[in-house]
Amino acid sequence: MNQYTRPLSLVLGLAALAAASLSAAQEKTFKIYGLGAKSGVVRIFGLNSEAAMKAAAAEINKSGGVTLGDGSKAKLVIEYLDDRCSPEEGINALRRIASQPDAVVAVGPTCSNVAEPVFGILQKKVGDAGDSGLQFPIYTDVAAKGGLASISQWAFRNVPSEATMYKSLFEWLKTTNADVKTVWGGVEKDFAHSNATFNVMKDNAGKAGFEVLGQSEWLLADTSFSTQVREMKRANADMVVISAHPFTTCGVLKEMQRQSVKPKLLVGLTSSSSMETLNGCAQQAEGIIIPTSFAPVTPEAKHASDALQAMNASMDLHNAGAWENIFTLKTLIEKQKIMGRPDTVQEDRQKMREGLANLKETQGLLGKVGRTNDREAIKPFLFVHAKSAKWEVAYTPNK
Amino acid sequence: MTLIGLVDFAQALIDGVLFGTTYALIGIGFTLIFGVMHKINLSYAAASIGAAYLSLLVVQSVPAPIVYIASALFGGVIGALIYFICFRFLPLNAPLATLMSTVGMLLLVEELIVHATAGMPQNFPAMFTEANFELGPFFIRGDLLFVFALGCVTMVLLTLVLKKTKLGLATRAVAQQPVAAQLCGMSVNTTNASTFVIAGLIGGTAGAMVGAAIGVLSPLLTLPFTVKGLIVTVIGGLGSIPGAIVAGLIVGGVENIFQYLRGVSERDIYVMLMLFVFLVFRPSGLFAPAGGRD
Repeated sequence: MNQYTRPLSLVLGLAALAAASLSAAQEKTFKIYGLGAKSGVVRIFGLNSEAAMKAAAAEINKSGGVTLGDGSKAKLVIEYLDDRCSPEEGINALRRIASQPDAVVAVGPTCSNVAEPVFGILQKKVGDAGDSGLQFPIYTDVAAKGGLASISQWAFRNVPSEATMYKSLFEWLKTTNADVKTVWGGVEKDFAHSNATFNVMKDNAGKAGFEVLGQSEWLLADTSFSTQVREMKRANADMVVISAHPFTTCGVLKEMQRQSVKPKLLVGLTSSSSMETLNGCAQQAEGIIIPTSFAPVTPEAKHASDALQAMNASMDLHNAGAWENIFTLKTLIEKQKIMGRPDTVQEDRQKMREGLANLKETQGLLGKVGRTNDREAIKPFLFVHAKSAKWEVAYTPNK
Repeated sequence: MTLIGLVDFAQALIDGVLFGTTYALIGIGFTLIFGVMHKINLSYAAASIGAAYLSLLVVQSVPAPIVYIASALFGGVIGALIYFICFRFLPLNAPLATLMSTVGMLLLVEELIVHATAGMPQNFPAMFTEANFELGPFFIRGDLLFVFALGCVTMVLLTLVLKKTKLGLATRAVAQQPVAAQLCGMSVNTTNASTFVIAGLIGGTAGAMVGAAIGVLSPLLTLPFTVKGLIVTVIGGLGSIPGAIVAGLIVGGVENIFQYLRGVSERDIYVMLMLFVFLVFRPSGLFAPAGGRD
């Protein structure tokens, strides 16, 4: 008996495997492209964004995938291209994506210095026959410099408004810290995002009633901050506001500790509310307050955060946008009846752009995300502070 | 200039000179390899930082001094690897070949660091954090004084190795007359490899000291330290170890003074100008060693 059952079960097993392969081969897919820094010193942005996009796509696929315009079901597939946070490579990546017959939309890029030129190669005004720019919709998740979507009507963003967040933060700090009157700034001068956000911080601190005494400046790759911190020490301001990425933020915080600079309040850049800062200088960053559009405080946010942890990635304000974007795009694919075929690709891109442009509100991980007429997002946010090597919620505005 | 301005100026000079000790340590390694092989190893600073990164493998289980020693040892291993990959099998009479191979190695090491850490800054154990001295209005960092002392000790040890040991004799012989050294039974390849290991040990130490001085390691460190190491080597005199130390302190001091006087965005212009002044008026640097390889 045994001599017959063994070969039979083998044949049946192989047949089942072949059937499964055939069904897998026939399974329809819909590709969403991503672009961002997956190498270079800000590689973590791209890795986390890609992980968030893939985790979101897996969630959608688990519940059946996406319904295309012809009524068929398709599984979402993510393909993420590396731009190294370099404008040239970002432009190349977008051109490569736009040349694909299955590319309807892309999420990214992660760096503002890439987003600016990448949006620049898109057609500025929809329907302008004299403009030969790319007609391809981009839905940005990370690049945070203010107002970038205004460059092209094909550019959309789901990033928090730093101006709104810092306005609210400084107003809250003013009401809760009556003894804090003066501010000293610290800015990483050669990084577009840090520099632009510093002006936002300075402006809003002044408007909230704080006196801005001055600022210290350094560069992204600087290693010595003694002169800058000495200026800070001499100013003896009640609050120090640092607009820099984690590496120099940590360098400055360590120098502040060395020179015993202990302001009553410490405020950081949105991008520093990630694990990078705590990885580099948790002890010195203790108490630093940062506005952010992500913290695992709602069931959806907790679920998303857990899904990413399972992929050895972490969720922060940047890639939370990537997760949200995939769900928004899934809704739009269905609502706009995107066909997902090579012969309809240009029509699909147009429909996707229209869908994105008509959005009035999307569902975010912290709640409803409003959309503005200039294709930007109004995201809910909260303030976190570093406590015992963890980010904890310090205050939730408009709660 | 007001009194406060003068104090700040002097403090900026002190800070710069003290931080220049880290440039000096990197410069010593550059100059040692150049002195022996007459080749520039552009991956040296990146390898030094890479060694410090590797020492993080033991950071959880051993005290800080052992982490620094581990960094030195990893530096030695990386030094040997770089010799075998970038120099050993390449024609040494084609200077561009080794130069380009070390450029490739620099980028490779940087990218390996980025891939291993996702570019995230890594906390590195600082030393003597409490040992800072206040001399009147001036503030002096104890850790950087230690790095300075370490640089001087390294210089003395290297001099002793070069003057008093068989390896040193072989190194000097190979540096001056490689063909004659070979005819006398010395192995040029072994001597060169030994030089890379010694330079790697110094580099690993330098990487650890840089990490300890800043308190954080980042892949962003590799390029600035490569540039600073080269400037220090040129200003100090190609192949001169005391020159590397003095030039390191000068570069650090000048950099910080111009940062104080002209701001961070102009600072590097003046450092580069100083390099050009040296290249034009004293191309052999401050302490050009006498003689060299034929």
